[in-house]
Amino acid sequence: MESLDEDARLMLRYRDGDTDAFSALYARHKGPLYRYLLRQVRNAGAAADLFQEVWSRLIATRGRYEARAKFATYLFHIAHNCTMDFFRRDLRLQTAARDAMLHAPPSEPEVPEYQRPDVIAEFAEQQSALLASLHALPREQREAFLLHEETGLTIEEIARVTQVGIETAKSRLRYAVCKLKKSLASREIMEAAPLRPRRDMKAVNAST
Amino acid sequence: MHPPDELDEYLRGDSALSCQYRREPAPTPPPALDALVLDLAHRAGAGGARVARPRRDPCLAPLAFAASVLLSVALVLAIVFGPQGSKRADDTPRVMRVAYSSDPKLVRPPRAWLADIAALRRAGRTHEADEELRRFRGAYPHYSIGDPP
Repeated sequence: MESLDEDARLMLRYRDGDTDAFSALYARHKGPLYRYLLRQVRNAGAAADLFQEVWSRLIATRGRYEARAKFATYLFHIAHNCTMDFFRRDLRLQTAARDAMLHAPPSEPEVPEYQRPDVIAEFAEQQSALLASLHALPREQREAFLLHEETGLTIEEIARVTQVGIETAKSRLRYAVCKLKKSLASREIMEAAPLRPRRDMKAVNAST
Repeated sequence: MHPPDELDEYLRGDSALSCQYRREPAPTPPPALDALVLDLAHRAGAGGARVARPRRDPCLAPLAFAASVLLSVALVLAIVFGPQGSKRADDTPRVMRVAYSSDPKLVRPPRAWLADIAALRRAGRTHEADEELRRFRGAYPHYSIGDPP
């Protein structure tokens, strides 16, 4: 609880003009946010764009910030909205590309780079079995899992961030866990790599 | 469908799944992106702490009060001197319609009735005057009116 109060305090300080407070806040949350975005959209370029967009929105609306809830829910609520906008744009682009293919065969459709089959294949080769299973999940289940793993949000907080009921959030996380466990059961658990803390925040806290 | 303790076990944070996930590489944003975001935040912060926070200008308060008073007065004047309160533009009589009845208690006094008929005629509402006169004669068949009003 102390760390969440600390986040809110930092954000309030930044709202009131203390830019150093933002640097501390950024250091705490940049890793989890980046991984959440990267593993949602599965493309480094798109994730970087979204990352910048999320922080830009946070900065632009800092004057309206009030510490009503955990700061992470505030930040990831913005991230959730940005991601949803991204997927909606992506869907429109796919539809436009499909229409272009149907009606104008000579020109190559404008499919974004991250959707090109070769790029997807390259990305898939770089990831582990667990990440491959994670990416195979439906988007909502993947998001619930990532929010819990990367930020430590509870089911109630995940529900708030994703704007669904608690039972829905719980069901999504349950399905995600069940499917990932099944996929893990069929493979040997890697034990060579050391464990990393759940959040970058812990590393920051430890150093301060 | 699901074992009841599967999610609870996972939520405790020490499940094999969580351990496995934490062993995965943990990519972070490239330094250029860090620099970009931090620069944006610092420039916005330096530009004014409460740029996006709506603030009420204290100078506007008396102006808002004066506008409220003006609107209230205008509303009261409109109610008092409005169309309902103003005098009717024409002074033509509004003839009270009384159903024809053989009961003399229910018909209007002949003089008042005739005066109304005369007023109708003066106002150019001849058709209504004739209609009223017809009713008058029905109600007072023996009343002598000389020239019709």
